[in-house]
Amino acid sequence: MASLRYESQVRQPLVVGEKTYHQVTEDIVRPIEAKPSKLWKIGFTVSVMFLLFGVYSVYREVVYGIGEWNLNKTIGWGWDITNFVWWVGIGHAGTLISAILLLFRQGWRTGVNRAAEAMTIFAVMCAGQFPIFHMGRVWMAFFVLPYPNSRGPLWVNFSSPLLWDVFAISTYFTVSLLFWYSGLLPDLATVRDRAKEKWRKRMYGVLAFGWSGSTKHWQRHEALSLVLAGLSTPLVLSVHTIVSFDFATSVIPGWHTTIFPPYFVAGAIFSGFAMVQTLLIITRKVLDLEDYITMEHIEVMNKVIVLTGSIVGIAYITELFISWYGQNPYEAAAFRNRWDLSTPYGWAYWLMMSCNVIAPQFFWFRKLRRNLLFTFFMSIIVNVGMWFERFVIIVTSIYRDYVPSSWSTYYAPTVWEVGFYMGTFGLFFTCFFLFSKFFPVIAIAEIKHILKKNGESFKENMDEEEKDTVEHFAHEHAHAH
Amino acid sequence: MEQKKYWQSFGELNNSEAHQKNAKDEFKEELPFENFDAQGLTDAKTPRRDFLKYVGFSTAAAAIAASCEIPVKKAIPFINRPADVIPGVSDYYATTYISGGDAIPVIAKVRDGRPIKIEGNELSTWTKGGTTSQVQASVLDLYDTARLRYPIANGKEVSTFDAFDKMVADALNGLGGAPVVLLTSTVNSPSSKQLIGEFLAKYPGSRHVQYDGISYSGLLLANEATHGKRAIPSFQFDAAKVIVSLGADFLGTWLNPVEFQRGYTKGRKINQANPTMSKHYQFESMLSMTGANADERFTHRPSETGSVAAALLAAVSGQGVTGVNGEKLKKGIDKAAKDLLAHKGQALVVCGSNDVNIQIIVSAINEAIGANGTTINWAVPLQNKAAIDADMVKLTDDLNAGSVGALIIYDANPAYDYYDAEKFKAGLKKVRVSISFNEKLDETTELCKYVLPANNYLESWGDAEHKAGYVSLLQPTIAPLFKTRQWQDTLLKWTGNATVYADYLKNFWIAKLGSNDNYLKALQDGVIESTVTVMGSPVFNGAVVSAAVAAATSGKKGGKVELVLYQKASIADGRHANNPWLQEMPDPITRATWDNYVMMAPAMGKELFGIDLTNNTQSDQYEAFPDKPVVKIKVGNKGEIELPVLLIPGMQPETIAIAVGYGRSEHIGRAAVGVGKNVYQLASFNGNTVINYADVTVEKSETKYKIATTQTHSSYEGRHEVVKELTLTELIKNPTRILNEREEELKPWGGLENYAKDGTIYPVYDRPGIKWGMSIDMNSCYGCGACVVACTAENNVSVVGKPEVLRAHDMHWLRIDRYFTGDINDPESIQTVFQPMLCQHCDNAPCENVCPVAATNHSSEGLNQMTYNRCIGTRYCANNCPYKVRRFNWADYTGADSFKGNQDEMNDVVMMMNDDLTRMVLNPDVTVRSRGVIEKCSFCVQRLQEGKLKAKKEGRPLEDSDARTACQQACSADAIVFGNVNNSKSAIAKERTENKNRLFYALEQIHVLPNVNYLAKVRNTDKLSGHEEGGEAPKELKEPAEHETTK
Repeated sequence: MASLRYESQVRQPLVVGEKTYHQVTEDIVRPIEAKPSKLWKIGFTVSVMFLLFGVYSVYREVVYGIGEWNLNKTIGWGWDITNFVWWVGIGHAGTLISAILLLFRQGWRTGVNRAAEAMTIFAVMCAGQFPIFHMGRVWMAFFVLPYPNSRGPLWVNFSSPLLWDVFAISTYFTVSLLFWYSGLLPDLATVRDRAKEKWRKRMYGVLAFGWSGSTKHWQRHEALSLVLAGLSTPLVLSVHTIVSFDFATSVIPGWHTTIFPPYFVAGAIFSGFAMVQTLLIITRKVLDLEDYITMEHIEVMNKVIVLTGSIVGIAYITELFISWYGQNPYEAAAFRNRWDLSTPYGWAYWLMMSCNVIAPQFFWFRKLRRNLLFTFFMSIIVNVGMWFERFVIIVTSIYRDYVPSSWSTYYAPTVWEVGFYMGTFGLFFTCFFLFSKFFPVIAIAEIKHILKKNGESFKENMDEEEKDTVEHFAHEHAHAH
Repeated sequence: MEQKKYWQSFGELNNSEAHQKNAKDEFKEELPFENFDAQGLTDAKTPRRDFLKYVGFSTAAAAIAASCEIPVKKAIPFINRPADVIPGVSDYYATTYISGGDAIPVIAKVRDGRPIKIEGNELSTWTKGGTTSQVQASVLDLYDTARLRYPIANGKEVSTFDAFDKMVADALNGLGGAPVVLLTSTVNSPSSKQLIGEFLAKYPGSRHVQYDGISYSGLLLANEATHGKRAIPSFQFDAAKVIVSLGADFLGTWLNPVEFQRGYTKGRKINQANPTMSKHYQFESMLSMTGANADERFTHRPSETGSVAAALLAAVSGQGVTGVNGEKLKKGIDKAAKDLLAHKGQALVVCGSNDVNIQIIVSAINEAIGANGTTINWAVPLQNKAAIDADMVKLTDDLNAGSVGALIIYDANPAYDYYDAEKFKAGLKKVRVSISFNEKLDETTELCKYVLPANNYLESWGDAEHKAGYVSLLQPTIAPLFKTRQWQDTLLKWTGNATVYADYLKNFWIAKLGSNDNYLKALQDGVIESTVTVMGSPVFNGAVVSAAVAAATSGKKGGKVELVLYQKASIADGRHANNPWLQEMPDPITRATWDNYVMMAPAMGKELFGIDLTNNTQSDQYEAFPDKPVVKIKVGNKGEIELPVLLIPGMQPETIAIAVGYGRSEHIGRAAVGVGKNVYQLASFNGNTVINYADVTVEKSETKYKIATTQTHSSYEGRHEVVKELTLTELIKNPTRILNEREEELKPWGGLENYAKDGTIYPVYDRPGIKWGMSIDMNSCYGCGACVVACTAENNVSVVGKPEVLRAHDMHWLRIDRYFTGDINDPESIQTVFQPMLCQHCDNAPCENVCPVAATNHSSEGLNQMTYNRCIGTRYCANNCPYKVRRFNWADYTGADSFKGNQDEMNDVVMMMNDDLTRMVLNPDVTVRSRGVIEKCSFCVQRLQEGKLKAKKEGRPLEDSDARTACQQACSADAIVFGNVNNSKSAIAKERTENKNRLFYALEQIHVLPNVNYLAKVRNTDKLSGHEEGGEAPKELKEPAEHETTK
């Protein structure tokens, strides 16, 4: 159909399917009120099984020691911290979508922000497991908290990047949780108001904190959202910056790099958006939400992916260049241990390169950006690549560092090390399944803001002049001159 | 009635003022809740707020105490404290470490009645306090769980010694005149020799046979032929400017390494003002530890040793080098010969061969270069090896012929280490009465009918004369742990002598020394030394030489591949195979633990397995995985043995080498079970002596075997910030070369002068008071590993067992890094560096600032210290340590953890170390680390504290001798100097100022400011391998593709 004269030439509608407000509510609340589907049950069971395996893996590690993992005297961190950085990175997309895009008034965010924020929270929960359980004496983990204690003047070490992590991650988690939950309040109230069973009314009643939808509530809600968005925005940049300090402030060649903060932040957003894609492509299908999470969303996120992927690529190349240009023989050797395919971990570097730098370049093609299957495939590829990025940085830097006598044997994880990682997937998806069952996966209230911008429903009531097509108008106009 | 006055003290009697005060305050303790009445409540000493605090605290404390269940471990104090035992204070007793004929004077540190550490006895003039790894580890043998605990007859426990004595007496009386043979290792105890004589006199026709698993009879017989004395002279390496060793590992295992290391060191210490150095040539087939320290090293096949010796003799006799293959070898012999001749009277040739003819040739060379009476001292022969192989061969024949009535064995184990063990075992079965005195149920003892457990040396009385005229005494440091009896006591009893050996010994020495006081003094000192200073030099009989040359060079050519058997610096002859400290001590050359294996040249490896170590990918693959190829080897018609292979550059390309001392029986103990294979039987008897090399066929096996090495990469990759070495010529020509190199490295940060300040953006602080520092002279570290074991013993370092070493979970606080340079396919070009690596106690330590809980921090004395109970185990410090010296407790290796059942999956060796018996060896001054914490070298902080206290109590400044680290004390070569750097008179301060031209800090350029410095390795050779011509240090790192050697 030819475009109309008054219709936007560029922007596609954010919500398709000519929804009314009521329909929106119906569509989004439906999964909460219906019985869980078979697919949901299977998925949930599998997730819980992963989670239990993870719990057992951690149990073994806590009881028998870190020796349950294949780390050694040279490689003190391996899968544990790789997974930590990976999960933290994934969380970043959620915050970016909910905070930065809110500040920039990006309407399309409303379709995906709720799920993305939930993803952030679950990812940070998963991430948090690793620095906690990678400790040799996890029962003493509270030593990292600076609280007045009876151990004399003993205090935490404020110059340790690991301590900065403690603050960064806990702040990040708190703010993200508040942001997510305050956004949920109006929707929870909606679910409460629609509830027929008593327990449901009570439960959502409590969760909704007595939301009444009054103007005052809305006003405060909006204000709070802005404040939290303001708080979260620097966090998007700072959290991964601080995580990168774990490495950047060390003396180990390959870690000791000033480029890390921006490089890590870009990588985090890159992997976060990929994870959002993975989740939403499934969610919109399973929960029948294709009208709300549209091809437009997917395409716009793919654009972010190609952008951040290219930033990451530039960072990789810069690192390589500096390792040569800097003339530090130790750094040169560390990087040779990455790019030289004949070294034991050369494969990991090139896997990372192809997943993170080469693969996303396909998204320069609009057709591929709008191809669901391809996007889904790419979203997995990107996260595999980003996992390897962290692995390459962490393991290939320390396994052969300054003193050649200590160069390590080949490090491959034990089943319990992998189990721990699997367990966090279990935790993540268990949470996500519960979330999708009990909470509206799309911000109902927020998406109604942008519903009006969709012109489809008004087309029926157009007058003749409004029905004028662009071609016709252009033709007329040309003749007029 | 007058009150009768009882008084307890003069004070009470006189009722002095002091007494009154004492009496009043006797049970008085200031309670804080006083003087409420006088002032207002808030002015009182304990105002209301404080009171509430107390209440709050005590309630909380009570609640916590009640809720945490802490396992109660009871330490029961003495009811009657033994005299001289003060809990927590160590006593030191002089005694002597005995292992076969080796007798090293030592001091045993006894804490609360338990010997826990062995140090060398510095009163001994020939060891000067030096030790070996075996000596250091020997204290653990005392607590060996596999020790025999009661007498056994015919496999059954005998309840009392009397019953046992009676059984044996009956058996011996029933022999009907058949001779009794006493079979022992070399006995050099003067009193025991007398005692043996008395015992044998009771049984006419009986004899004493000495047998050493590692035989030196070739040397003994050669000396008999050339000097008319069946003896081994003292080799005085200290007087030698040129040393030529024909396959003798004299720094590691050959004959008397402690003394040889001491002597050798004299030529290795460099005076900066006038640098000179001894020159050491090594001709050998395999890469030995001594060869690794040689200035020039040449390889030949084991069967060519005779030709090499003969060629050297010809060369020093001015006849030119003939009869050897290979240009390099010829040139080497020629060069060595010229050097020897140029240093007549200051040169020494030693040879590790057990072939009489070869040793005769060596003797002739020594005569030709004027060694007798200068570097060879005939006045004080070494008496630690006296066995003659032919005696044992004859005994074996006699046994098989049934002509021996009774065989009494002490500390000899032919069923394990005899070349023809099967024949011996068959013979042993034919003996009517077989008796063994042994600490363990070893391979021979288990075949004996009567087994009488012997005492450990730490439980024994005794004497030993390792070198003639140098006697050392033994005294028990602990009562026998089990129902054991010293073998001398047993012999006395069986001789019918009612004296106990302690008295026998006492009387023996009182007779010699003149008085009981002298004896007690000697016992206290541990050594009795004559003051012979004359260099004996018997007449040399040259008549036998030409026949020997003919015999030594006419032998048939070796086959395609030859095998040579050797001893490892740790396990040696295998006597201490159940000692986990030794088993886990990495081999100096291969860095492997817990196994014996085939050492093979990379060229042969390439041929057999297609592993090309010059190819990056393949060498990476080879080093990154512990799975090593396996070969089947076969010597003659002896059974096939499968052993894993380690590719070692520096090996002669057609020679393989296997260590003896492995493959012990299961009765030796849990640490020895399944470790390696026994290869003693691959040796052979040539009619005179046992020969330790053979032709061998090597065949590839399809299997793989994991070898636990603690170091996988062997090149230092041209990283001159880590290792600095130069040739003597370079040092003389350009004395400040190392200084210049450092200046160059540090130029971007202000150069040497301002580096400490300009290398950082943080303020620099003064470090007044004590500042501990260590200096390690790489020129006198030979890699022997005594320090490693000493550190393990002193600091309760955990043994983790092979499975854990395989996973690189070894816990050593101190390791000796070994690097090769040179072309891996050219054994002559291989040069080796040993670099002891331990916590460098950096003043700007990268580990300290990354710990989130400040568990590792810096002391005001410059120590980088670990607070174990603060550590939560993030391992960040270990990652950030550039030297990779931090060790993490991956599992509950010590049982110090509070989790129950978490040692279920621990391997057997760790559990053996956790046995209550074995744990008696733990040093109570050092915390046993629990699972999940990091540990590392502490500079033996417990010793430093003790030393400081001692100086303080005596009201004087700290001296060097007050505080010495365990590694420093163990080193025979004084490679380690330690002390207070701020005291300009201390040895460490002097070492640093006097060796400025060789001093460097490892990885100095990263500004961690270590407190450990190294003195560069100097080679008395023409050229450094892997360096540019002229010896200039390469500016850039070699890229991995151009590896200088195997990786």
